[in-house]
Amino acid sequence: MTENLNHQPYIDLKGIRKGYRIGKESIPIFSGLDLTIARSDFVAVMGPSGSGKSTLLNMLAGIDSPDGGQLRIGSNRLDQMGESARSSWRAHNMGIVFQFYNLLPMLTAAENVELPLLLKPLSARQRRVRVEAVLDLVGLAGRGRQYPALMSGGQQQRVGIARAIVADPALLLCDEPTGDLDRTSADEVLAMLAFLNRDLGKTIVMVTHDPHAARQARRTLHLDKGQFSEQRSAA
Amino acid sequence: MSSTTRQTLVMLRANLLGLPHRLAISVSMALSVALVVAVLTGFLAMAKGFEQALKGAGSPGVAVILGGGTNQETGSEISPDAIRAIEAMRDDLGVVRDAAGNLVSSREIVVPVDLRLAGDGTGRTLALRGMDTSGPSLRDGVRLSAGRLFRQGSREIVVGDRLAGEFPGFRVGDKVRLGVIDWTVAGHFSTGGSAFESEIWADLDAVRTGFDRQGQVQSLRLRLDSPTSIAPLKGALSAVTGTPLLAIAEADLYAAQSGRTADLIRLFGWPIALLMSVGATAGALNTMMSSVSDRTVEIATVRTLGFGRLAAFAATLAEALLLSLVGAAIGIATSWAAFNGWQASTIGANNAHMAFQLSVTADVMATAGLLGLAIGAIGGALPAFAAARLPLTAALRARR
Repeated sequence: MTENLNHQPYIDLKGIRKGYRIGKESIPIFSGLDLTIARSDFVAVMGPSGSGKSTLLNMLAGIDSPDGGQLRIGSNRLDQMGESARSSWRAHNMGIVFQFYNLLPMLTAAENVELPLLLKPLSARQRRVRVEAVLDLVGLAGRGRQYPALMSGGQQQRVGIARAIVADPALLLCDEPTGDLDRTSADEVLAMLAFLNRDLGKTIVMVTHDPHAARQARRTLHLDKGQFSEQRSAA
Repeated sequence: MSSTTRQTLVMLRANLLGLPHRLAISVSMALSVALVVAVLTGFLAMAKGFEQALKGAGSPGVAVILGGGTNQETGSEISPDAIRAIEAMRDDLGVVRDAAGNLVSSREIVVPVDLRLAGDGTGRTLALRGMDTSGPSLRDGVRLSAGRLFRQGSREIVVGDRLAGEFPGFRVGDKVRLGVIDWTVAGHFSTGGSAFESEIWADLDAVRTGFDRQGQVQSLRLRLDSPTSIAPLKGALSAVTGTPLLAIAEADLYAAQSGRTADLIRLFGWPIALLMSVGATAGALNTMMSSVSDRTVEIATVRTLGFGRLAAFAATLAEALLLSLVGAAIGIATSWAAFNGWQASTIGANNAHMAFQLSVTADVMATAGLLGLAIGAIGGALPAFAAARLPLTAALRARR
């Protein structure tokens, strides 16, 4: 696997082990996985179902922890953090985009976007200004009062992206962000992710089944049987 | 406002806005809490009303002397010699004396009398109290609400307002057969709703003659200089030989009687309410588990965004408390409308009929309301814990 030697790795996984127990049987997912991702990189992770893509994303998000090995993001060792510390780390360092948007249906688009800001010491006015700015950035200016149910899938995903970036995290994790969208909407979302990476310097790790989506990334990694192989690296 | 509070409030808001999706089960939880609270309020209001009726009857400024080793008027007997000995005492007994230097007192006797009701032919046992003419003035707050007082030596009665309101045959001027004698209703009296209003008062000698109790006195009431004067009176009574005498403040006498019966009412009420609470708590648990189950993805999503476990716990518990608070409010309002001021009767002191009003007071409402909240807190604690401990990966996978 190649590594961008011009940059200190932002994400650094060394010898990650992870398995699941089903009854008395232990099913290994990773047995010594290594991965480095540079700051401001845009990496697509592909692989067949059950290859461990979601498990990897969950570990990067700090909602799952490895059984062994080192998992460092920035200067933080996630594998050594407790639940509470990982929760706090997520609030300040990471945004996540879900396949099915995971918007709270009883809250408006603006209220959904505001959620991560509630974890920060900001006044209501400061939060409102940032929410409006980020809705504008994703092309939903003036739609903040709409409820998710009244929006198209593409619009909902843009709200999801707005929620992921409103707290200005360095890392953006995307779990099949175009998996539930038609091609036009998917292209809009991918263009937005490319913009966030290229113009705002966000580090993006995107799990996807869609080769078209993967082509938007700078690197595509193929995960199979618990190991990576790099299929494509942008010039 | 702290970050955790903000997180809790936004999660609580999301929970409450999602209530319409769980309307039936949420309403059922609130109603089951309401039912428990209403039942407990009913029992407590009954006990409170009974207590108020009896406590209102007693004055700390009046001493009741009982004889025969009992602390109740029923079964008490004071011999004429003992009464003469007390009246002959010239020392300072702490008792008010009239201009002639005589003790301000009333000899009294209570006779249970059966009154046959005209409508259904059933009978009621009422308390007929024979007293000296000074007797009414020894009751604090007594006033004539109709007619006049009985005359000395006459077969006249005055009837408490509660009895007069309950039995139609007690109009002023009516003749009422009590025992084997017809008595004329001379008037009605009020004592502010106390237990005295369930009594019939008449002249002591007329009662003793009419019921063949010549010479009998069950209690002697004395007006004290001050409530603290009961102590010197007790000391003075120890000098009276022949029969053991007990001096007790009238307020204490009735408080003891009310305490026993009110405790009995509560003894019935609390177990019933607590048994019902078990069912309501199970209902609350089910409702809140359903709520957490419905919101699994939402909870996991906000937790993934960085919301804390404490916020997930607090918001779920707060939802349970709010639902039970609504239930408690409904229960209290319903029982207040249904029970407050409702006339009830029971066998009171002297084994006679005693009427009282159910009283839904602030402390009754607070106690029943707290039970309702306890149902919400206990029923909501486990689901709140489940919400806080939700495995995020599994919860998010539910939508993948």
